[in-house]
Order: sequence, then structure tokens, then C-alpha cells
Amino acid sequence: MGEIVIGVFIIILAILIYTNSGDFPQLEEPVLDAGSYPRLIAVILAILAVILIIRKGMELYKSQAERSGMGIRAYTAYVLKEYKLVFLILAMFAVYVGLIDIIGFIVTTIAFIIAAGLTVGPTTKRNAVVMSIVAVVLTLGMYFFFETALHVRFPTGILI
Amino acid sequence: MFDLLYLGIAEIFQPQVLLIILLGVIAGIITGLIPGFTVAMAIVLTLPLTFGLDPVSGVAAMIGVLVGGMSGGLITASLLGIPGTPSAVATTFDGFPMARNGQPGKALSIGIWASFLSSIVSLFLLVAIAPQIASFALMFGPWEMFALIVAALTIIASVTGESVLKGLIAGMFGLLIATVGADPISGISRFSFDFATLRAGIPFLVVLIGMFAVSRLMESIQTSELEKDQQRRLEDKAKDVQFVLRPIATLKQVMRKPVNLLRSSSIGAIVGAIPGAGGSIANIIAYDQAKKWSKTPDEFGKGHDEGVVASEAGNNSTVGGDLIPTVALGIPGSAVTAVLLSALMVHGINPGPLLITNEPNIVGGIFVAFLAASFFMLVVQFTGIKYFIRVTEIPAHVLVPVILVLCVLGTFVLNNRVTDLYILLLMGIVGYIFVKYKFTLAPVIIGVILGPIAETNLRRAYMNEPEWTLFFTRPISLTFLIIAVLSIVFTIWQARRAKAKAAAQP
Repeated sequence: MGEIVIGVFIIILAILIYTNSGDFPQLEEPVLDAGSYPRLIAVILAILAVILIIRKGMELYKSQAERSGMGIRAYTAYVLKEYKLVFLILAMFAVYVGLIDIIGFIVTTIAFIIAAGLTVGPTTKRNAVVMSIVAVVLTLGMYFFFETALHVRFPTGILI
Repeated sequence: MFDLLYLGIAEIFQPQVLLIILLGVIAGIITGLIPGFTVAMAIVLTLPLTFGLDPVSGVAAMIGVLVGGMSGGLITASLLGIPGTPSAVATTFDGFPMARNGQPGKALSIGIWASFLSSIVSLFLLVAIAPQIASFALMFGPWEMFALIVAALTIIASVTGESVLKGLIAGMFGLLIATVGADPISGISRFSFDFATLRAGIPFLVVLIGMFAVSRLMESIQTSELEKDQQRRLEDKAKDVQFVLRPIATLKQVMRKPVNLLRSSSIGAIVGAIPGAGGSIANIIAYDQAKKWSKTPDEFGKGHDEGVVASEAGNNSTVGGDLIPTVALGIPGSAVTAVLLSALMVHGINPGPLLITNEPNIVGGIFVAFLAASFFMLVVQFTGIKYFIRVTEIPAHVLVPVILVLCVLGTFVLNNRVTDLYILLLMGIVGYIFVKYKFTLAPVIIGVILGPIAETNLRRAYMNEPEWTLFFTRPISLTFLIIAVLSIVFTIWQARRAKAKAAAQP
């Protein structure tokens, strides 16, 4: 099932690339312009994705008869249990990446490490202490290493 | 051939460079032995640290990580029976039983020697073969280069993962996202969809960090994975294993069967040179072949020294093999060497058949760094192994956030752009979905790095002569295209046969 969704997404992407590759400025290139190669790749990719969808669709159709057991509710419960942390951490990571520019590198990084550490690990006082030490040491260490050795300017927002 | 080595010695034998390689080896061993963390991840995270160094030291550091990482998996494979990296799967077959039979020290030291000696064998193959291939490739025109890339991508798609179709889709997806940004010939901005983020293109390394590191971390925090990890900690066998390493005695034992060592190393080097196939495949093939040729095949699986030698020699010698197409053609054999090439590109050095002619000191440096890294690996493993085992005690909930932050740092340091971080997040999610549905990631990465080269050569070929039949009438180009078709046909045939066999014996 998932493969079919991926296939559809890939076809949409290929169409998007194909339709947007027509109006590039023409230079003195008789046959291939800036849009030709992307169009070639997009067409091949779309064909492959269609084959994938047909194959998986047939498999799904064949197995429909014997499919049993897990209902939708049980499946959702399983997904939620198995991937709970993945969703949570990805959401936290998105917030972290989004705020890094607004609040500043050091504060957001320390906050992210502590929060993610407590989400994945146990929420005990001991773990909180361990994660805080790790967060502060790592963040400040990396910050000063990159600023002094490589002259990287980290994003500073309202704070640092 | 020897002048390359002389140049390399001059580049590498400086205290600072040697120290960098040593640190790389230690970092590699540590990441190699933590179950769930791969060598590719280690090398991706090392890269930003090397930006401040000169190209030779930067590449040397990464070779150190690569050599160390390949041998690090041995420790957990032998002592815990869990491969620290996918490249050490076959090492568990005999290394673990040997450790359980009361000879953990013997299993480790045989493995270390096999890793070291096979690295040296593959270094010889690398130094002997790479310059020949490169000088042959100097004859290539744009037609041949394009056909070569087509062949490399189809081979990668067919050897990795469960189906050719998914492999090809992954490879084409890589090529497609590489077209975003400035076009490689005229510099026209493409497919930015008015997002400022996309105007500069999708940086290769961000794709790599997202797909290989972020997606792998997401996998490791799935509930079932975390439970497995907890289980492993509860029955931690490594803590109280006592062992004595006897370097000299085990060296003699390994050397007594040189054929096994040489065979396994050659298998590893050849497998490594095939694009897409790396340590994880070589490790198993070498083990399997050793068992077939052995005088005592029944002993395999019970703690046989030949099994440990074959599996460890098989995976470590892929490093040398992997470097052959990388150095000679600019075609990376794996995600790991793709990072190596991109590190060179960051410094403005263009990989390709001309690399050996134009930058002999870098190529020589790569060769000698490989040699130095192998020696360091030997010394570090024999002296530090007792301390390395402790690393497996670091819990996942510390590792995951720390490594995510390192991914962010690596991405940011690359171009100093916050917008690259959004691409990182997106690529992490895409990579995770790909992994979940068994699309392999190696073709995507190789596609992204080879995409611009493929396009440049295709368009150059047309500018020379607007005639597409030239791809089929020029003999070398035709050969590559035939190889491409054969690799797909062969894999499909093999899969059919395996299916038929499975159906025949219920």
C-alpha cells in the first residue's frame, strides 16, 4: 500500500518537473537545452513509478481475498505505539530547526537535546541531570570549536 | 606508480596529519562497534570537521574513519554476537562461537590481524590497478562518461536492496533532485518554484546527512528497536568477558593459511570495486567461499579461525576496492566514498579520470593515508580494545539527540545557510520513508552526486555532434550500455530463479 502512495508522489514530482522545464531561456544549443535532461529523467522516473504501482496494485488485489486479522483500529494502534517516538522527535526536530534562526543557536540546541533526551529516555531526575550536562558541554564545545577554528557564524536570534 | 607513493609519503608523514588519521581511526572504531550506527554515518559527521583542514588532511581523516569503522564491527560481533555494522554480519558466525568457547581474545586478535593484512593486500591492488584504469579512461569522450554513469547507476540499483525496480526508482529520484538549482552548463536556475531555499540547488551533503544519519536515527527510536536495545543491555555479556590478546601467536596462526587470507581479500577488493556493493556483501561472500574451499567445512559456525579470517578480511579489503573507481574514474563505489569525493569538491578539486594526472599528491596521499590508517587500526585495536567495549554502554536516549544536533551542525557549517536545515529535515523524512518501504538509499546518493556529471556529459556529447546513435556506435560506450542492460536482466533472472526454487520446495 505504502509503495503505491510513494509511486503516486513520485509521479506528481515527475509531472511537476516536466511541466516546469519548458520555458528556460534558450541559448545557442540546437538540440538540448536546460530543460531537456530533467524532462528525460522525469519521463523515465514516471514510467518506473507506474510499473511499481501496477505491480503492487496487482499484489494487493490478489492478496485481498486472504487478507484478514488486523482491522483498521488495531493497525492504527500498532502504528501509534511503534512510531510514537519517531513522530514526537521529528516534530521536536522541526520546531528546533524552525526556531534556531529566531531564538538563537545555543539556547535552542541545549533545549532540544534535553527535551529529546527526556522524551526518548526515562523522565527521572538523574536522566535530566545527565542530559543537561551533555547538552551544555556539547553545545558550547561545538560552538566555540566552530567559531574559533572554522570562523562559522552561528545564527543568533533574540537570545544566543 | 612509485612516484605517487613518494608524493603521498611526503604529504602524510607529518606529525599533524598522522595525528588526524589516528583520531579518525579511533572515531571510526567507536562508531563501527555501536550496534545500529554505520560507517557511512560516521564519515558523514566527520566531514564538517575537516573543512578547515587542507584537502589531503581532510581526506586522510576520512580514510582513517573508514578503515577504523570497518574493523570496529568485529568487537561487538565477536563478543556480543551482534554485528556492530552491517559489514560484520558474517563475523558473528564464527567469532561469537569462538568467544563463547572461552577464546574471546583469540577471536578478536585473529579478526584484527585479518583486517590489517587484508587492508594491505587491497592497498596493493588499489595502487596497481587504479592508475591503469585512469589512463584507460583518459580516452573517454562525453559519450563514454555518460554511458559509464548509466552503467554504474544500474549496477548499484541491481546489487543493493530487494528489487531492481525500487533500486532504479531510487537512482532516478537521486538524478531528479540533482537537477534542482543552477544548470551545470549555462547556469540557468531551475525548479526553484520561487523558494529562495531551492535556488542554490539541493546540496548533495545535506541529502546524504538527511538520508543516512537522520533516517537511521528515526529507525533506532521505533518502539520495537528500543526494546531490543534494552534487552541487549540487560544481558550485557561484554562487561564481564575476560580475555588476553596474543598478537604474535595469532599472527602466526593467520599466516599459516595464506590462501584463505588472499582469497578473501581479493573477493573483498573486487566486491568493493563494484559500485553499490560494499562491506556487507563482501563479508558474506568471502565467508561463504572460505567454507566451500576449506578442508574442514564442518568446523564453520562452531568457532573456526578460517571463518573469522575470511569474514574480516572480506570486509576490510573492500576499502581498497572501493577506492579504485573513486580515484580512477570519479565514480564513487559507495555512499562512503561519495562523501570522500564531495570533500574533494568542497576544496575545488574535480574528481574524474584526470585526478591522478592533475592532483598526484592527493591521490598519493589517499594511498599512503590508507596504509597509515591500517597500521594505526592494528595498534589501536590491540591496545585499546578493552576500553572501546565500554562505548556500547552509552544509552540510545543520549546518542540520538546528540547525533541529531551533530547533523544540524554538519549541515549548517557546509554553507552557513539556515534554509539548508529545512532541506535536511525533509530529506530525513524522505529517507526514513524510503528505508521503511525497502527502497535502498545508496542509489539515491550516487544519483545525486553523479547527476550533474551525467547531464554535463550528455549535453557535451550533443554539442559535439547532435547524433544520439553515437552512444551505440562508439565501442566503449556501447560496452557500458550493454553492461547496464545485462545487470538488470541478470538480477531479474536471478530473482525469478530464486522464486521458482522457493516454490519448488514447499
